[in-house]
Amino acid sequence: MNTDTLIRSLATNLTPVSRHAVGKRIFAGLTLGSLVTLGLVAGGLGLRADLPRALSGFPFWMKWFYTISMAAGAMVLVARLARPEPVRLRRFWPLALPVGIMAILVAIELAGTPTSRWLEIWLGKTWRTCPWTILGLSIPIFAGLLWAFRRLAPTRLRAAGAAAGLASGACAATLYCLHCPETSAAFLLTWYSLGLGLAATAGALVGERLLGW
Amino acid sequence: MISALDGSEASYHALLMALVPLLRGFFKRHVRDHADAEDLVQETLTALHIRRSTYDRERGFSAWLFAIARHKMIDHYRKSRQTCSTDALDQILLSDGFEAQSNARMDVDRLLETLPSKQARAIRSTRIDGSSVAEAAESAEIGKSDVKVSVHRGLKALAARVLGTAR
Repeated sequence: MNTDTLIRSLATNLTPVSRHAVGKRIFAGLTLGSLVTLGLVAGGLGLRADLPRALSGFPFWMKWFYTISMAAGAMVLVARLARPEPVRLRRFWPLALPVGIMAILVAIELAGTPTSRWLEIWLGKTWRTCPWTILGLSIPIFAGLLWAFRRLAPTRLRAAGAAAGLASGACAATLYCLHCPETSAAFLLTWYSLGLGLAATAGALVGERLLGW
Repeated sequence: MISALDGSEASYHALLMALVPLLRGFFKRHVRDHADAEDLVQETLTALHIRRSTYDRERGFSAWLFAIARHKMIDHYRKSRQTCSTDALDQILLSDGFEAQSNARMDVDRLLETLPSKQARAIRSTRIDGSSVAEAAESAEIGKSDVKVSVHRGLKALAARVLGTAR
């Protein structure tokens, strides 16, 4: 095709773009995916029976603090990696802050627990399934983000894939909290983080193929 | 670009038309086949259209534009299976003086050819490749003072030639 014809066709029926279009698009993708995941948690796994009582306790909010702050940080990173200009990833080190805060909570928790019970609170009852469930629940949200990325312009595909994986993993973990009965900080820091790590790794592995344009 | 994002077709048309020579220049400098370069211009225009929401109104336009163009170029290299490390490519694309530098290197080569081979070799190893006089003497199997004299005479001859006062 002739370049002039191409330009004419691109410039006709031009739709205005809002100032916050990137953020809106990412948010839409996350919301759509999260609704599917919420359906899976509520319909498939079932909400925890003592949810109303848990909502007034510390462990539940500690878990939400961790997963929601990780999700928020990862979303900021996704929004930045969605733009084509070069990125300095080192400036995003505050993303690791929730992990540090959790580590402190774990230290406090372990200090107040007899050594004989450490293994028990660390493994909980669901350590075998927790990371894999988070990974599985993150898939619909990751798909939502892939849809969002079709109009975005990531140039560091592996990093963008990892950030999208982390964001979807953290959102999935937030919803998984509605089912997961575990209460210990040590459990959260180990197995939830492992789930987030799995989601981020999976994202990085498929990023180059699925985000290319 | 900003008024194009607000929906002005006329500004958008004018902007894209103005970008064509820029992008053509950019791609022709880095892609050997001119038909490929034209394809890349069109692909870049299409990509920037589809992904135009990623332009941040507070940031520079050319950085955004060339980030997209560079991405398209790397993609092109990957598809056409030309082996070119992306790190090195970034370096090439980032250095605007790449062309000027390569021209300068060719000029130096041409000038050195006009000298006797012993002088050319001595200048090349001590002044361009960065070897010491001792290393240069060893590799050419001549004395150190011979290297020094050769460099001195050679540079003098080159200076005379460049300044247009050749003997």
